[in-house]
Amino acid sequence: MKHRICMVSDFFYPNMGGVESHIYQLSQCLLERGHKVIIVTHAYGDRKGIRYLTNGLKVYYIPIAPFYNQCAVPTLLTTLPLIRNICVREEITIIHGHSAFSTLAHEAMFHAQALDIRAVFTDHSLFGFADASSILTNKLLMISLSGVNHAICVSHTSKENTVLRASIHPELVSVIPNAVDATAFTPAPENRKKGRVTVVVMSRLVYRKGTDLLAGIIPDICSKCDNVDFLIGGDGPKRIVLEEIREQFQLHDRVTLLGAVEHNKVREVLVQGDIFLNTSLTEAFCIAIVEAACCGMLVISTKVGGIPEVLPNDLIQLAEPSVKSLTKELEAAIEICKMGRSDTQFHERHERVKRLYTWQDVARRTETVYNMVCEEPRRPLPDKIMRYQQCGPIAGKIFILFAALNYLLLFLLEWWLPAKDMDKVPDWPQSKNKLSFSKNKNSALETNRRDCQDLGR
Amino acid sequence: MGRHTITMEPKKRWKKVLYEDQGVPDNYVDESFLDEMQKNVHIRTYHYWSVVQESGVVTQQICSVCLFVAMFLFMDDKVLSPKVLFCVSSFLTIIGYCIHELLEYMEEDSDNMQTRTGWSAMKTVLMFVAFSYGLSPILMTLTDTISTDTVYAMTAAMLLANLLFHDYGADAAVVSGALSLNAAIFASVCLASRLHTTWHAFTTVTLAVEVFALWPVLRRKLKVKVKHSQLVLTIILTLVTVVTIATLSTVAAVLLTLLYVFITFVCPAWLISLQPYKNNIYGPWDEAEIKD
Repeated sequence: MKHRICMVSDFFYPNMGGVESHIYQLSQCLLERGHKVIIVTHAYGDRKGIRYLTNGLKVYYIPIAPFYNQCAVPTLLTTLPLIRNICVREEITIIHGHSAFSTLAHEAMFHAQALDIRAVFTDHSLFGFADASSILTNKLLMISLSGVNHAICVSHTSKENTVLRASIHPELVSVIPNAVDATAFTPAPENRKKGRVTVVVMSRLVYRKGTDLLAGIIPDICSKCDNVDFLIGGDGPKRIVLEEIREQFQLHDRVTLLGAVEHNKVREVLVQGDIFLNTSLTEAFCIAIVEAACCGMLVISTKVGGIPEVLPNDLIQLAEPSVKSLTKELEAAIEICKMGRSDTQFHERHERVKRLYTWQDVARRTETVYNMVCEEPRRPLPDKIMRYQQCGPIAGKIFILFAALNYLLLFLLEWWLPAKDMDKVPDWPQSKNKLSFSKNKNSALETNRRDCQDLGR
Repeated sequence: MGRHTITMEPKKRWKKVLYEDQGVPDNYVDESFLDEMQKNVHIRTYHYWSVVQESGVVTQQICSVCLFVAMFLFMDDKVLSPKVLFCVSSFLTIIGYCIHELLEYMEEDSDNMQTRTGWSAMKTVLMFVAFSYGLSPILMTLTDTISTDTVYAMTAAMLLANLLFHDYGADAAVVSGALSLNAAIFASVCLASRLHTTWHAFTTVTLAVEVFALWPVLRRKLKVKVKHSQLVLTIILTLVTVVTIATLSTVAAVLLTLLYVFITFVCPAWLISLQPYKNNIYGPWDEAEIKD
């Protein structure tokens, strides 16, 4: 069954990040499988209108300005005309929203109800339950997911978290992990410094990424092992802590702070190291450790969130989130490196990780979700609106009202601009890519990387 | 409702991992689903009478505020002379200071510490008295252009802020000892400027510092060192305050008594009745706490 999918999120290129590259890679692989995919996101500065990426991936930069934290203003009813226009012209059958933070995604999935289109949601992050912002966001998520046909999470821990937050049935959530582009992260062990063991850290320097732990580990390790260097990429408010440690212990020649590293330069930094250290305090999936393992490095990480599910025990060493535990694991890894690691060991690791997570697999599993969702019987309108009742005595009634208003607005639009009078968009010719993904597997991903570099500007 | 799962049993025990294809569909729900979730881990059981006793802290602070306002009203009615009030409050402060030092001496502290703090305390007191007395003419005319109603409204708001943000011993984000003290001193400045002579202004400000800055320190020390001091203090202070307010206005005294009853007996009962509704969820998705 071939689907016509609309990916919606506030987060897309030219913004660089995990969610953005996830949407892009998934879309490209779905295109390879013969589906039609378009992407809808808000305007970025002057960038409004339609752009075409590789293989005819159409991106709609709709003229809504971001309001806070890269997200559009939540208005709920005013986005209906534009979303309806896009969905009718492109003859969309599935709306796929990404990221719980994205207001545009939630609104599009809300309109999918009225437009009689199936809705799927992918959640990329973990949330708490206790503080004020979590309570509000979880309530909104519960309301939003009342109207969604299926949800996707990137790890089992993330699934448990989403099920609890949004009070949805666990069978409505599928676990489809992230993936890594193995052709972009190939090992090059000759780039390491001879005679020294280099530990690489690549993350934003914020509290939740465990920079305080790192500040405790660096002086410990540097005093115990004198052939170890640290290479730290990334920037953030906690950078000052690391600079202070460096000053205090006079480690200027052993600790290098690279600052923010562009996504396409990450691999260049990774191949200079033997060991990758991840000190996050919470992670839904952590693609960084997979990228590092793909480059053949030894990986040390804290045992939090979804990280224990990601790599098998022989590819990663897990430690408790404390300086003592991480130092112990790091020392053991440094011993292994001192005895020398051959180039073949790096390439063996790369070969193993290459098979674990691929975007083609993610696309295949996502396609299964789409098939499942399309086979569901159509729900009658009263059912769809009354589903919001489960959100609570007050919130439920408010959203029933909104859903009804949305439907009335749709009637008005249907009368004013009937769907049958709208021109339908001809599809981008896909004859070359259909069913030949086994041959062109690498070529599509090669052009992906070029797109990333172009769009970065 | 169209929930599509092929109910397959995995060939071996299902593991919570992502790197292996375990032969089950992606939305498979294993028996071990949500096994690592824990609820209400850090629950505390409250006992009614100990909560009642602890609520004495709030009652005492309300007493402080009421007594301070009462003193202002007495001075305003010219019933109380500021000089008398100044002497009495200074005398009580000196006694309080001696008690504080005695309690500290009973801890194993070295003697030279004591004499040093004694001198520095003396210096602080002298400096404060000198500045306050010197600035009290300015203080007296500070709010001349502001109407009395506004001044009273501001005072009420500031004293309320003092009560809300006072450090009662709880570890919460809303607690700010500095904010509460500043609010109280601002209230005292507002009130001081409504009085007739510089002596009045000086006394009001000094009284405010003694009641809102120094008395909580002694109170905390007593709570830690002397058993049952809180209970005795609460009862004495409550009685004194109600009697004092009763001489000014019967309605106020009745309302005050009702307030005390509400805080001391009704609020603890309410807190305990809400405990069964607690629903704290913990699990592997929580942000890790750095253990060291």
